[in-house]
This record gives sequence, C-alpha cells and structure tokens, in this order.
Amino acid sequence: MSTATSSSNILTGKKFPFCPGCGHGIAINNLAKVLEELGYRPEDISIVSDIGCSGLIDPLFNTHTIHGLHGRSPALGLGVAMGLQQKDRKKTIAFIGDGGATIGLQHILEDARRNVDMTLIVLNNLLYGMTGGQISGLSTQKFKEIVDFETDIPPFNIIQLAHASGARYAARVDNPRQMKEVLKKAIETEGFSIVEIESLCPSYGMKRMNELMEVVEPEEEYENPRAATQIRMSEKPSLLDRQPVLEQKFEPLVRTRRDFIIAGSAGGGVQSTGKQLATAGILAGMHATMKGEYPITVGTGFSVAEVIFDPEPIYYTGLEQPSVAVIVTDDGLEKIRKRIGAGTRVYLDEKLAQEAETLPTDDIIIKPFTRTVNRKAAALLATAYMLDREKVIPLEALREVLANHRLAKVFLETLDRLEKLD
Amino acid sequence: METPKNTLIDGSKIIIESLAQSGADAFVAYPITPSNWMYKYGKQRMPLFLAAPDEISTLQWMAGLSATGVMPVTSSAFPGIALMVESINMAYAMELPMVIVITQRLGPSTGSATTGAQGDLSLLNGIISGGYPVPVFSPSDFTDAWELSNKAMETALKYRTPVFLLTSKEMVMYQRSFDLNRLRPLKKFTYDRHIEGEFKPYKPGRNLTPPFVPLGDDEHLTRFTASTHDADANIRKNDPEALENSKRLARKLTENLDDYFIYTLDKSSEPARDLVVTWGITADAAREAVAHLRNQGHPVDLLVVKTLLPVHPKLYEIMDGYDNVYFAEENLTGQFKEILFGHRAPEHIRSINKIGNMIKPSEIEEAVTHQKSLVL
Ligand code: SF4
Repeated sequence: MSTATSSSNILTGKKFPFCPGCGHGIAINNLAKVLEELGYRPEDISIVSDIGCSGLIDPLFNTHTIHGLHGRSPALGLGVAMGLQQKDRKKTIAFIGDGGATIGLQHILEDARRNVDMTLIVLNNLLYGMTGGQISGLSTQKFKEIVDFETDIPPFNIIQLAHASGARYAARVDNPRQMKEVLKKAIETEGFSIVEIESLCPSYGMKRMNELMEVVEPEEEYENPRAATQIRMSEKPSLLDRQPVLEQKFEPLVRTRRDFIIAGSAGGGVQSTGKQLATAGILAGMHATMKGEYPITVGTGFSVAEVIFDPEPIYYTGLEQPSVAVIVTDDGLEKIRKRIGAGTRVYLDEKLAQEAETLPTDDIIIKPFTRTVNRKAAALLATAYMLDREKVIPLEALREVLANHRLAKVFLETLDRLEKLD
Repeated sequence: METPKNTLIDGSKIIIESLAQSGADAFVAYPITPSNWMYKYGKQRMPLFLAAPDEISTLQWMAGLSATGVMPVTSSAFPGIALMVESINMAYAMELPMVIVITQRLGPSTGSATTGAQGDLSLLNGIISGGYPVPVFSPSDFTDAWELSNKAMETALKYRTPVFLLTSKEMVMYQRSFDLNRLRPLKKFTYDRHIEGEFKPYKPGRNLTPPFVPLGDDEHLTRFTASTHDADANIRKNDPEALENSKRLARKLTENLDDYFIYTLDKSSEPARDLVVTWGITADAAREAVAHLRNQGHPVDLLVVKTLLPVHPKLYEIMDGYDNVYFAEENLTGQFKEILFGHRAPEHIRSINKIGNMIKPSEIEEAVTHQKSLVL
C-alpha cells in the first residue's frame, strides 16, 4: 500500500512519502494502472500537484509534473490543459486535497463550467494532514462530530457543485474496489472530470477502512452530456492595420498652443466629439492630445473631453485651466466649474444662462445648442460653433473628419444647423 | 524625409500590438480600470484570449499556459496585482516567462480608479519573497511603449521570468497624435530550448537560465516546481545545491542586467550642475520643464530611467556627476529615490512628489530653480 507498483512505467518507483497506511498511495497506484491500461505514455501525461500531503506526489510520477501553490492546482491545471490542447493526446491530471479544494473552490467550479479536457482528483482525507489535523470545508458531518469541530456547519458537496457547474463527469468513490473503474471513466472522459476519493489518514483521521466508511458521504456519480470545450489559437490582424493615417490637408490658423474642454453628459457624444476635434487638428497639421473623463458608471453623469493642439510636439498633457470651455449640460458645468478661470472663454448652452454670473469670467458666449439639435448632437454643434469662432484650425478640417465617419449623414446635418445659431 | 503617418492613438493599443508582434500567444485577464483598453485590444489581437474569473486564476492560467510553451501576457492594476502576488512568486520560482502590464492608479486600496499614479514601484521592488529582483520596465512615451513591450517579451523569454511593464493611466488611456513611422519593425521572440549535454529541468544553460522544455514534450520529461529544488526539480530543504539554485534566480537577472538596462540621458548643450531624474508618465512634464529652464539659460540634464529594476549601478555613476539631483515621481515619498537611497538620501538628492494629479512642468522648474524638495 505504501510503495509504488514496481512494474509501472507511469511511476518512478520511488518510495511513497506518506505515513504507513495512508490512503493516498492506493489512489496513486490505481491511477497509474488505469493510465497504463489505456495505453498512455509518460510523455502524454502532465501531473499537476498542490500543497499538503497530497502535494508530495510529483516525484512519484515518471511523467511531466508541475508542482504549484495551495488550492490552485485546478486553476494551474486548467492553464496546462488549455496549453496542451495545441498538441494531440496529452492528458492533464491535477491532484488536490480537501484543504486545497476548500481554498480553490471557485477554481473547481470554473473548471467544471469551462469543461476543458482534464481530470481533477480530490484526495479527501477529511482534514488538513500537514498542519496537524484541522478540519476542511470537505470534512464530513459525521467526522466533525467525532473531532467535535463545527458540527453545526455542513460540508461542501464538491461533486454536486461540480456537476451543477457543468462538469462532464463527477463522481465520489469511497470503496477502494470501485476506485479503478471510476478513475478509468474519468480519464476516458473528454471534458472536465472530477473524482473525489475518500481517503484514510491514520495519523490524524480515520485509521481503518470500516471506520472511514461510517463517516464519509455516500458515493455519487453524475454526467453532463456536453462536448469538451476546444481551445484553439488563431492569428489575428494587426491593430495598426485599422489605424487611420491622417494626412495633413489644411493649414492651422494659429501658431501657438490651444486647449479646449468640452463638458456635457453621458450619452451626449462628448467623447466622440473630442476625438473628432483632435483628429481635425491633426488634419490641420497640429499635434493633438485627447483625454476623456467620465464616471465609472459610464451611462450616467458628466462626460468631459480635453483636447490640446500645439504646432510643436506635446509632452505634458495636463490641462488645468482651459483657454476655451464648451459647456452643454449642467452635469458638465458642475464637473469643470472649478477649472474655469478669468481667462477662460466659455461657450455656454442657453439653458445654463443663469449660471453665467456665477462663473469667474466675463468672456461667455451663450447659444441655444440643445434647443437647435437633440441632446446627442449638442456637444458637436457647440464644438463646431466654437471652432468656427476661435479660428484655431479651419472648420473644414472638422467637416472632413465627420464626412469620413460611418454616421457622416447625421454628423453633417448637425453641422448644417450652425447657421441657425447666428 | 519619410512622409509622416500621423494618427490619433492610445498607449494601450501600442503596447498590445507590440506584445503580439514580439511573440505573445495569449492574453489572460480580469478587466480592471485603467487597464480595460488593453483588455479590449487583447481580445482583438492575441491568438488566444481568456477572460479569467479573477486575478489569481489569471496568473495560474498564465503559468499553466507558459509551462506548455504558450507565451502569456496580462494587464491589471494594483488591486489585481495584490491578488496575483503569491502566484507571481510561483511563476518566478518555476521560471515561467510571462509579461504583466500594470496600469498604476491612485491608491491606497480602491482609491480612485480613474486617476493616474506612480505608486506601485515599491511593491515590485519587494514582490518576490527573499529579496529577489524582478525586471521592471516603464515606458515614458509611445515609442518607449513599443520598444519596452518588445524588450519585456525578450527578457521574459530569455531569462525565463515574469517581467513587469509599469505604466500609468495617462499613458494607456490618453489619445495623442503620433507618427506611426516611429514604430520600427520588431523582432519576435520565443522560448529558448537550447539543451547542452544531459537535460535536467533546472540545470542552468545559457545566461544562467535553464533551457525551456514544455510540459507534454515528446523528447524529454520535464518538471516545474515552486518549492525550493535542485537541478532535477526535486524538492530540497536547506540543501546547498537547492539554495544555489535559488540564488541563481537572482543572479541570472543581476549578472545579465546590462543586456536589458535602458535609460536616456538628455544633456544640456552647456555643462549642467543639475539633473532631473524621472520615469514613466512624469517624464513628459520633466521634458517640458527642462526645455523651459534651458531656454531661460539654466542648463539642466534629464535622466529618464526605463529599466527601473533591478537597479543598475550605472545610475549612481551618472548621478555622481551632478551637484543637485531632483527625483520627480507621482507618489507620496519618491519610491524610486527611496529604492536608490533608502529613507535618508544625501542632502543634494531632492524630490518632487505629488498624488492625485500629474506633476506639472512648473513644479519641477520651481524645485530646480529654488534647490528644494516639493511634496504636493
Ligand atoms: S498525515 Fe495523514 S494524509 Fe498525510 S501522509 Fe500521513 S496519513 Fe497520509
């Protein structure tokens, strides 16, 4: 029970490191037999091990091995299994104890949900062996009554949880005589399979098989008839292929740095207007930057775009007090109010006219942007109006940007409304 | 002169494209602001994209993929990195190549997710338990973002190690006009399987780094382990060979540092007594400040450090040539300065520190002009 089967090509033949009578050896010998019977070569198998007594197994296997962190072998194993899908007939088998399974519960559910081809073997000796016999989330109710520990809290049923999460095959086995057959089914399963093996721990837990049978959860076996998830890599085109190259078509109207803030509300086209303005600047030979700002909840509240033009390269992109602010909604106004200075020229929607006297500048132009077009187009209309007045770059540059957009018709109609403002 | 290929682009796109062209096979991540544009581009560009359910899974999946020869990258921010720490140590000990992009944002804790910062360097300086270094690159502009992403991939694969690319919100979420001609064609890197003599999983080969044989290999059986181990990957406690192997993890990175140490020293046309030292996003303000000071007749040199860790002794050699050195960093205490000089820097080493907003060129100018430190 405590040494490897000598004829195995799957096992190294090293002496098992477990205490005499430990149940882990039975599981390992049974697994090795199953793999040999199914014709697997050592090179086909990758054993993923965890921490704890069940984590001492990697030197026992004459296969590929990877030995990671406590509770993480189901996640590490999934990574291995996804990587090995790029090669044929490679099998990933991960081990975990009941302590590890408690830590990595979510990883197990995720493995089940994803259903990539791999097998997870949970060696449940009902306790933490390596640290002195403390209970785990998989310690059974009857065992906890014996050790008088959290008797009022039920254990996780990892097999039912895995099944409910989509595991192709999920089974618990108590009787060592059934173990080989269940392991064989699991290994033959294409998709995620999980086997929970109830195990002896003579040092801290159940010492004899008949005692173990008294305290374990009953055997269960479930299947989900679903195909294994295939993970395939595919080459994709360069992100730069779709990046528009902006040739200069217009001349800038100023030779100095200018900055703008466009302030409105979510859903008001502020971000796209900012980007269009910056793009127009580049078409007119300017260096440009565009910074968007909005709350984490992007569908509500303010939306602000900062745009800087400079005939020289722009390094520092910070913009505290803008030279021009375009404000179309009260959300936008409140967001940037403190950044408006005595030298800021403000283009303000007429609905906010009563706010004009609260601002620290006299240079305010009030126009009915939101009355002239719908709320989605007001930021664009106000920005176009501002651009026409400020004469930083030709308005035609912005028109060119809009004309090349898939929503060109809508945008250009907005621009046509400019004359209504004068 | 080449016709410019100007475009309006963000740093996230440049980083992801560069990583893909440099040999990344998989993008694995949990989305987090301000790294979410990289997540979007990762999905569009990488041969394999995996939406992990959390950051611990992210790193574990990456480690599993890397162990099979599928090169993974991820992007995250401090809250995600904090969850990854144990798994990063695992990947480091197993010697698994991967690139982790961090977009720094204002802490502590959740802080302000959409406010930039430079506050995670100290964490990376001590992230591997036991004092082991990990390569940290930090781009100071879009050209750097392109070049350093490539260098990060090369370093990760050549030295079989996790590598960090430390950036900030303004680098990856601002759009700027940029001439695409500045993005030179990149070399693609891959796992190095150069085996000399008998194969052992952790027998060092070129550059003190073991040759890489993936799980599932048909020629050699391989082993990876995160526990202290010898060349055969046998777990060994207090065994001289195993401890030597652990020391090698540091040595391969420090003894080969010249291979991946990158910085720019911009010298004034006049001999300068003052040096501004910076990294990452603050380099933009420093460039403007230094240009302005020079225009006013004040010669100032500018050192932009792009390989922040491990620390290269060359940095001290450079700084020794100046009467006054000013570290500009967007964090509370000057993390890079503290890494270089501890908590009691010599008097002529000053700092400009700020949180919540980018450091302004005028603030750097003020510190340099008045020979003082500034905490804003
Ligand atoms: S402590 Fe228990 S589980 Fe661990 S090796 Fe000993 S008998 Fe086996």
